[in-house]
Amino acid sequence: MASTLILLTIGLPWAGAVLVWLDGNRRPRLQNTLAVTFSLAAGAAALALIAFPSSQTSFRLPVGGIFGDFTFLADGLGILLAVIATGIGSLAVIFSIDYMRGEAELGRYYSLILFFIGAMAGLVLTSSLLLMFIFWEITALCSYALISFHNDDPKAVRGGIKALIITQVGGLGLLGGALLAFSSLGSYEISELLKNAHTLPQAALAWMAFGFLAAAAAKSAQFPFHTWLPDAMEAPSPVSALIHAATMVNAGVYLLARFYPAFEGVPGWKTAVVLVGVVSALMAAVMALFADDLKRLLAYSTVSQLGYMVYAIGVGGIFASQFHLLSHAVFKALLFLAAGAVIHAAGTRALGEMGGLGSAMPRVRIVFITGALALAGIPVLNGFWSKELILENGLEHGPVWGYTLMLLTAGLTAAYIFRGVWMVFYGSRRNTHPLHDAQPAMQVALWPLAVASVLTGLLSGPLGKLFAATLPFHDLEALTTRAILIDILEAPATWLATGVVVMGLAAWWFRKELAPVFRFFLWLGSPARNSFGFEDFNRAVVRSTQAVADLLRHTQTGYLTMNVAGILIGLVIILAILAWGG
Amino acid sequence: MLANALFWMITIPLAASPVSYLAGRLTTLRAASIPGRASPARWLALLTLLAAWIPYITAVRMVLASGSQTIVWGTVHFRVDGLGLVLSGVSLALGALVVAFSGPYLAGMEGEDKFYGLLTAMIGAMLGLGFSNDLFNLWVWFEVMTVSSFLLVAFHWQQPAALEAGVKYLVQSAVGSALVLMGIALVFLETGVLNLDQIRATAQPSSLLAAAGALFVIGFGVKAALVPMHTWLPDAHSQAPSGISAMLSGVVIEAGLVAMLRALGPLAGTHSGWPHLLMSFGAVNMLVGNLMALRQTQVKRLLAYSSLSHVGYMLLGIGIAVGFQSAQAAGGALFHVVNHALMKGLAFLAAGTLLYVLRSGHGSHHPLMTEDLSGASRRYPWIALALSIAVLGLGGLPPLAGFMSKWQIFAAGFQTQDGLVQALVIFGALNSVLSLGYYAPLVNILYRREAAPLVGGGLRAPLSMQLPVMLLAVLVIAIGIWPPLVNGLVVSGSRAVLALFGF
Amino acid sequence: MTLSMPSILLVGIFSLFGVGLYGLLAVRNLIKVIVALQVVVKAVLLALVLAGNLRGQVPLAQSLGLTVLVADTVVAVIGLALAVQVRRCLGTLDLHALASLRR
Repeated sequence: MASTLILLTIGLPWAGAVLVWLDGNRRPRLQNTLAVTFSLAAGAAALALIAFPSSQTSFRLPVGGIFGDFTFLADGLGILLAVIATGIGSLAVIFSIDYMRGEAELGRYYSLILFFIGAMAGLVLTSSLLLMFIFWEITALCSYALISFHNDDPKAVRGGIKALIITQVGGLGLLGGALLAFSSLGSYEISELLKNAHTLPQAALAWMAFGFLAAAAAKSAQFPFHTWLPDAMEAPSPVSALIHAATMVNAGVYLLARFYPAFEGVPGWKTAVVLVGVVSALMAAVMALFADDLKRLLAYSTVSQLGYMVYAIGVGGIFASQFHLLSHAVFKALLFLAAGAVIHAAGTRALGEMGGLGSAMPRVRIVFITGALALAGIPVLNGFWSKELILENGLEHGPVWGYTLMLLTAGLTAAYIFRGVWMVFYGSRRNTHPLHDAQPAMQVALWPLAVASVLTGLLSGPLGKLFAATLPFHDLEALTTRAILIDILEAPATWLATGVVVMGLAAWWFRKELAPVFRFFLWLGSPARNSFGFEDFNRAVVRSTQAVADLLRHTQTGYLTMNVAGILIGLVIILAILAWGG
Repeated sequence: MLANALFWMITIPLAASPVSYLAGRLTTLRAASIPGRASPARWLALLTLLAAWIPYITAVRMVLASGSQTIVWGTVHFRVDGLGLVLSGVSLALGALVVAFSGPYLAGMEGEDKFYGLLTAMIGAMLGLGFSNDLFNLWVWFEVMTVSSFLLVAFHWQQPAALEAGVKYLVQSAVGSALVLMGIALVFLETGVLNLDQIRATAQPSSLLAAAGALFVIGFGVKAALVPMHTWLPDAHSQAPSGISAMLSGVVIEAGLVAMLRALGPLAGTHSGWPHLLMSFGAVNMLVGNLMALRQTQVKRLLAYSSLSHVGYMLLGIGIAVGFQSAQAAGGALFHVVNHALMKGLAFLAAGTLLYVLRSGHGSHHPLMTEDLSGASRRYPWIALALSIAVLGLGGLPPLAGFMSKWQIFAAGFQTQDGLVQALVIFGALNSVLSLGYYAPLVNILYRREAAPLVGGGLRAPLSMQLPVMLLAVLVIAIGIWPPLVNGLVVSGSRAVLALFGF
Repeated sequence: MTLSMPSILLVGIFSLFGVGLYGLLAVRNLIKVIVALQVVVKAVLLALVLAGNLRGQVPLAQSLGLTVLVADTVVAVIGLALAVQVRRCLGTLDLHALASLRR
């Protein structure tokens, strides 16, 4: 049963992708229907999987040779992410009905999104390192194609290729790690690696651990690979919500969580993970504070929140990180879709050109504020529970410097999102574009997410039980929801953090009074807008590669004599090498 | 039985060559050519290439069942093994598709019959080359293949650019052949025999044999597009008719590689440096190919440089195989030979279709520029999709064929547990990422909404061009999803390669 | 120094090879390049003959030599045909005129 459901979860979106493409953009309504149907069906299959969790491989396709077997497994970690991918995927597709109305190339859009959903589900439901890498690459391909969906816009194309190259370079870490595992253990099975990690030579395990960390950092847009996510905002908003908030960027966190038992013993690894998480969270929060573009603000926020998840893993709080993954997927998707509605109505992405939109778009305002409250970590909403759990774990098991900086970041988070909400929905209107509230299909997507932002905290108990039952290597304990929630409420760390959050909100509210203090920090503005120098580094790498390529082109002189000389030079070189080596 | 299969496999295309040429010429002489009327030369060529599949499949079945065999016809020695079967399979498959493809391209053109005649001769020679078991035989087939390709490259010899490409190709190929011949002379001098098996048996480490090996690598390396012997490649590929570009990149280069392996195999045991030498050439090819392709604005030139980097992967695989007796590495290299032939063939045929509908169909001899492709997917959705599939597959993205063969080479490299080899593998993977830097923009350009004016005025894509393209695209996806499709052939070939080097 | 056949041939091989290589690298006329190519191949032919002689495989060397001769002639013919066309098309046989395809 589980194997059928797994195949459906992956296969239904793919079937839908092919069908939507075949229509050839002749019947948009049919394409909409097909896309929604297949993504919802996949969501149903994923939800059904909750009833069949297992820690054993449920499906094996023998390929043989150096490709091992294609195996699939539905354990707690996989089911969680598969449900998120298909669930939020369906909502994003539904949202797209209104958002992409009038788009000429709907077929390409939907088929890429569906192809992505299937691949993401596959990534988390497989237990073969090779298949995981394959799905990893497919998601990168879809992400690139969707970012540069509007191929006529050079910024979009640049953003897409940048995302592709950066995540692919990081992916080399996964490639190397997977191959090291295969050559040391003779198998691609994840369970093999988790079981036998301690038998591997230290050097190999260390390479694997840091390679996986690099791959995860690149995929999740963490320091030092964070520059691609803001530029990926050229994608249509449903794509940003699905891929760059709720699913694909979580793949890195998923990778770290899944392989944590194998790598936790590698000296320096956990510290490195904590470092990556903390730096990303803090740096991105500062960048969000200075953001001028609504989607870029949300992008930086995503990097920052992913930093929380990575930090959680670094201090050993696997459950906390995945709980926050769930909360974040819900409220960030909500924020992106709501932002999409705002951008669709206001005709601009610039915060400076918005303002006072709340009265014309009350529904959007409510759901956006719900998401914002969840992000800031205001009690009762899901972000509160999961963020506090992470901070609690961090205080107990992690370094103090890490905890302090994450606490500070929580305050900054509240500040920047409050600023965002204010600049969009309140104040005076700076925009004369004719406005409309969210359209019907958009609302169908937005309201469930808003409700979920309030309620998913209640899932903590069942989720914990699912994890403890199906993840034998992770050493987790299962508590009831009640126990978890009470535990969070009672921890002193929680109230400390809530205090900081309130301070962050107050900082924005009283910004005029606090202006002299802020002027001190204005120097941060310019480096923040330039990604603290990482953009320059990227540009330098690209430019130098192109310069070398241009130089090399001079070797193709076009003169026959030079070409023949090349042949003879080759002969001399090879003779010299043979003579010297012999 | 196998001897019969071999005989027919080689003879059918070779015999068909003059026959189809004559049939075409006589028809042209007899009746005033009706424009658009398919030349009998084309149909004869297509039929013979399809007919040659029958003995080929028989041979494959027999070799997979009972292993390789040596066949002797008088003084000519053949070895029917997996390596030759891989090369022959790719030649026949791509050849048939190219003949079908070139129909509308060449219809009514002067020299059309010559084209089909020379193409079938070239294919027949490649079949012979793949199975040669002595140096004399090898060189003769190599020469026949090379000579038939000269006028195919310089087919549009009224155009100065094509003429220039043809002249450079001829001179450089001839230099390569001369170097190979010198190598043969040295081997002959040292051992007194030309039969590969006998050479392997009697070879002793000696400087003459090392020099001979060097001459083989360089001489055949001209044809196999090793750096720095590659300079003819971009010119020849961009100026030749698109079907010939597909053949050159897809099969002729690989034939050069196979010939090099056949010649080098018996000698490799005499010097310890060969594996690392091959791997180094592979690494250099990868990097140079990718860097040169990065800044190209002509589509076919870009694809030609990309072929350089793919030869690099094949060499890496072979180097690992020879250095560490790895059957998986040899298998990976041969798998990549097959995949590259399919993907590069697809890329050139798809690009050739676009070249035809946008430029040459109107009579223009201007090369196809990347900007010409702007918005081509609006008018030619299937061709654009096929080109995207080819190009992304070449970049090593799953679920396409290129990923699987590269993975096999990489995995085999890591299995050697040698630090240097593992570093080279990462270097190879990094090169794959680099190649996306010029493949991805092509896809982006194809899917623009604003169509270039050239696209607006483009002709309808002929069916005989679309069908081969579609077929290749399906194959590339199928092999990418399910690599075992070509497993039997590749495994047999890997065993043959290892046997060639004495393992 | 004994003026034996092998040493004469050796001298011949080296000098022809050298002349041919010089021709390939130093001349600017296409016909001269093709001639230089021919010279190189004749040097190799001599090497084959020498090898066959020294190894007692004269018939094999002869057949190989004849085949090489034929193949090389074909190459020369095609090369010269292309050269004629170059002269017709570009008006010159200078190699520098054949350098428009570059980078």
